[in-house]
Amino acid sequence: MRGFDFVAPTSISATLKAAKGRSTKFIAGGTNFLPDLRHQHDGPAKVVIDLMRVSALQGISSSKGVVKMGALTTMTDFLTNKIILKEAPILAAMSEKFAGPIIRNRATLAGNIIDGGPAADAIPPLLALKAKVRLASEKGRRTVDLDKFLTGYRQTAIRSDELITAVTFPSPGRSHKWGYYKLARRNAMAITVVGVAVVLKVRRKKVEEAGISLGSVTAAPIRCYEAEKILEGNVVDLELAQKAAEACAAVATPIDDIRASAEYRKLMCEVLPRRLICQALDISQDNE
Amino acid sequence: MKMATANKSKRTRKSSAPAYVPPKKLPISFTVNGQEVNAEAPAHTTLLYLLRDLGFTEVKNGCEAGDCGACTILLDGLAMNACCALGVQAEGREITTVKGIGTVDNLHPIQVKFIEHGAIQCGFCTPGMIVAAKELLDLTPNPSRHEIKAGIAGNLCRCTGYVKIIDAIEAAAEELSSKKGKRK
Repeated sequence: MRGFDFVAPTSISATLKAAKGRSTKFIAGGTNFLPDLRHQHDGPAKVVIDLMRVSALQGISSSKGVVKMGALTTMTDFLTNKIILKEAPILAAMSEKFAGPIIRNRATLAGNIIDGGPAADAIPPLLALKAKVRLASEKGRRTVDLDKFLTGYRQTAIRSDELITAVTFPSPGRSHKWGYYKLARRNAMAITVVGVAVVLKVRRKKVEEAGISLGSVTAAPIRCYEAEKILEGNVVDLELAQKAAEACAAVATPIDDIRASAEYRKLMCEVLPRRLICQALDISQDNE
Repeated sequence: MKMATANKSKRTRKSSAPAYVPPKKLPISFTVNGQEVNAEAPAHTTLLYLLRDLGFTEVKNGCEAGDCGACTILLDGLAMNACCALGVQAEGREITTVKGIGTVDNLHPIQVKFIEHGAIQCGFCTPGMIVAAKELLDLTPNPSRHEIKAGIAGNLCRCTGYVKIIDAIEAAAEELSSKKGKRK
């Protein structure tokens, strides 16, 4: 394999300067970078920039109803951070199913978003939380909705001179209801067959705001806008939950692979959202 | 660009190919099991290869893709796959391998219990498994069986069927928590 230069800057400005005008690739936890490297005969880039020493990319904070997670937030942080456990326990539930404990110690939030593809587990809960991605370049900073940031199979709206600095989401409030399910062949170190995330803001039994998303059944994880609209503004019963679940399945375009057939995935895209919506809202499902 | 000349006839390709330039070596300093190490390696060397080339062959090479956990080490106290980091990323860090947890003359209770319970068969997963168990017991001194299973979920064993490993970790947890007052 062709070698590369390596730099490990300690600030965002130094990182952006190092990346300017050169063929570069960022590395953080390395849990995607290193396995990929084995198949890259020409090397990943001329220069590899290590982000692990940039302290400005670390940390989780919350202010004025917005939770901000640094790009280097690890999956283990989701399991242990008090702000996450209080504001968005769905992220902890996701992390529990994410690979294994040793990978979780290194795998980062931004790495999963930028590199993960259709089965990137961190994305569905973040979509359901209506997360935004913060980007920085030497030209300035911008914020992009996560669902607009994901543009296709392993493709994002990031520009070659940009770096993800943080991911934010509006706090769904203490009384929000949520559900997450990762359907996979094993409990650990498994690639997701279907991932479903549901976040519901409920007031006086009415669903005020809904966030529903699917992973592993489209080129990139997606939000199910139709299903969200069906629930919003209503007191949800089994019939409405079923309608929303059907709307979820309608947007899924799964493929056949070694883990599951497209047909099975499509069916699960209806079963799982219905189950999660019903469980979150305490609706009894007599057929299960 | 040099690429253009490579497209000529097959005969000239060999002579016009750029001469092989060995990748530049970078200095790397870190500690392994408390011992200072000063090494040199190209940037693309994985931490796993770097450690093994330095003689720390207790870090096993299994899958090189983060799937099997044979190369599990502690980096500043956190368990990780050595195959999933570049060696240069270890600059200034503290690494603990299984030999830093206990030695042949002075075994750690986790190691003692692995032997007593027959949790070692071929032994290939054992160094990684013990490091993962160490992190688990550091964070969760009295784990349930389910927590033990979750704690070693990133480490594959193809011999034992895991039951003996889980038994060993459970016994080690008991021993460590009963000794706790005396040890520190």
